[in-house]
Amino acid sequence: MSAAGVTGSFARRLLVGSIRALLFPVVAIVLALVIGAIIVAATGNNPAAAYGALLDGAFGSAPAVGRTLVNATPLVLTGLAFAIPFRASMFNIGGEGQLFIGAITAAALGTTVAGSGVVWVAIIILACLAAGFLWGAIPGLLKARFGAHEVITTIMLNYVGINLAYWLAQHPFSGHGTVPGTGFVSARLAYFGGGLGQANYGSLVAILAAVAAYLLLWRTTLGYTLRAVGHSPEAARYAGMSLGLSTTLAMAIGGAFAAVGGGIEVIGTFGSMSVPFVSNLGFNGIGVAMLGRNHPAGIVLGALLLGALQGGAQQMQFATQVPLDLANVIIAIILLFVTAVGLVELLIGRKRLRAMLSGRRGKEA
Amino acid sequence: MADFVGQITPLLSGTISNATPLILTAVGAVFSERSGVMNIGLEGMMLISAFAGAVGGYFAGSVWVGLLFALLAGLVFALIHALMCVTFEADQIISGTAINLLALAAPGFIMLIIFGHKGTTPTVPNFNNLSIPLLSRIPFAGPALFDQDAIVYIMYLLIPLAYFVLFKTSFGLRLRATGESPESVDVAGISVSRMRYYGVAISGVMAGLGGLYLSTGLLSAFTENMTGGRGFIALAAMIFGRWHPIGATLAALLFGFAEAVATRYGQGFVPVEFSQMIPYVLTILVLAGVGGRAIPPAAIGRPYRKE
Repeated sequence: MSAAGVTGSFARRLLVGSIRALLFPVVAIVLALVIGAIIVAATGNNPAAAYGALLDGAFGSAPAVGRTLVNATPLVLTGLAFAIPFRASMFNIGGEGQLFIGAITAAALGTTVAGSGVVWVAIIILACLAAGFLWGAIPGLLKARFGAHEVITTIMLNYVGINLAYWLAQHPFSGHGTVPGTGFVSARLAYFGGGLGQANYGSLVAILAAVAAYLLLWRTTLGYTLRAVGHSPEAARYAGMSLGLSTTLAMAIGGAFAAVGGGIEVIGTFGSMSVPFVSNLGFNGIGVAMLGRNHPAGIVLGALLLGALQGGAQQMQFATQVPLDLANVIIAIILLFVTAVGLVELLIGRKRLRAMLSGRRGKEA
Repeated sequence: MADFVGQITPLLSGTISNATPLILTAVGAVFSERSGVMNIGLEGMMLISAFAGAVGGYFAGSVWVGLLFALLAGLVFALIHALMCVTFEADQIISGTAINLLALAAPGFIMLIIFGHKGTTPTVPNFNNLSIPLLSRIPFAGPALFDQDAIVYIMYLLIPLAYFVLFKTSFGLRLRATGESPESVDVAGISVSRMRYYGVAISGVMAGLGGLYLSTGLLSAFTENMTGGRGFIALAAMIFGRWHPIGATLAALLFGFAEAVATRYGQGFVPVEFSQMIPYVLTILVLAGVGGRAIPPAAIGRPYRKE
């Protein structure tokens, strides 16, 4: 075979690979933006002006970039929290509760025994990791031991976790301040500075987490087992892998990531856990993971997109009177479309879609 | 003792009020899930209907117009869910989550445009209590069961109706078969898609009625996120009730009773955060097989593609 032929086939593989990875997210994003523009026009505003302001508010200045980073950071972690169990063929809808467990762990430690400085920051993050791991293991164990459907148990555990965290924040760890919730933590993640506003080293933690997730999934035996279980439980069982153990571990690891996300919100962005605690990050993490096709690199990109949308929306509301909730409407619409196989077929034709996706038809959405 | 007797009526009445939105939503959800479509979007369908009902009622000055708006909103969101899950073969869990996020974000957006502020709508028309002659004079239970608003009476009719439709009509048989074995329904010449659309639509309309009860029955206004997880408790009640309308009703009544007891006696005794966990913890226990396994319809969660 000639060298040109090899390069050609490589380029082709790369092209097919990229199309396969980007097709569904791009269709979902474009459709959501179009619907968003229609909504903006319906409110009597100029869509181009609104999106211009949104873009400016997301990336137009150093503080804007900082805001996008602050928004994206927990989303990387809740995205990973969904993606890792998903690779083992499980839906973790419990990111929200797991994030609250992490937040209260960080607030409890940070307001009681912890001192200041980077060592305590590390200890608090590790404590969140452990708390989230244990909390995430519950639905995994319930599935492995009793066959309880993880979608339902994680949804139910969200409310148990949120209520538990709120009780802890208002009673044993109450700060007795004017705002209900805990006091301020002593150990804080440092700001990047450079005009980036509140952007802090939590973003670095999120990137490290994404790298760790990548290494875990593709460079360790455990990751191989999880993916094997996700692809074909029967084959994995036949190969002597323990389904129960991998199910439990996948959910536990997912929970650990989400909890670190909650911890970073407390020791990075807010400094305390107030009640109510602003979130929905657990649910938006599902969208992030879906956009990123459950790959850590894709998740970082997905989180940046959602973070930018939310940050830019403030500027948009300020400049054009379009409510900033539009960002969340767009996020919801993206999520609505991102797994819609039939919709993409309708748009580009079933045959062409089959051709584009030809090769291995994985089970990832 | 006399004190205890005096508590019976308010406790029963509180149970009905708390359970009504749960019963309506949970019984509706039975139809969706029995047809094979998982409905994680109940919370969103309730929320958007509570909002649409309040806004429709506000502008028309009539709670009955509000009712129409609420049912329509529930139906529209249900049809979006069905379109995504059934026609476009999207993941049912992802679509349901999207419905919830959409319903959480949209009211704030719309309120800011039409009222100029977010958070809470102005006061909207609500359903007044109608005392039914004779029945409301039954000792203890009468005032609790028969001095309620119109939605509660509609609910009394819908529960047996739902049971009848699901188990005594050919439509119900087809719907249930679609959730258990879409292939055989397809072979019998019945459209799987159409049955699933019906199932999800019924669920959306009933969740709409349940949501409306929050903004025009319990309160006379809509506030952002006023469902506060009730859609998920309804989901819990449906599972607890083993995908059966009567079971779902009983489970919702149990949750409503627990809430009534907690609000009446809970203060200082059991922290409210813990009493609120009860439905969720009970559901987890049921799923873990305490008292027998809960078995969902066999084909739930999977899109059906005709080969």
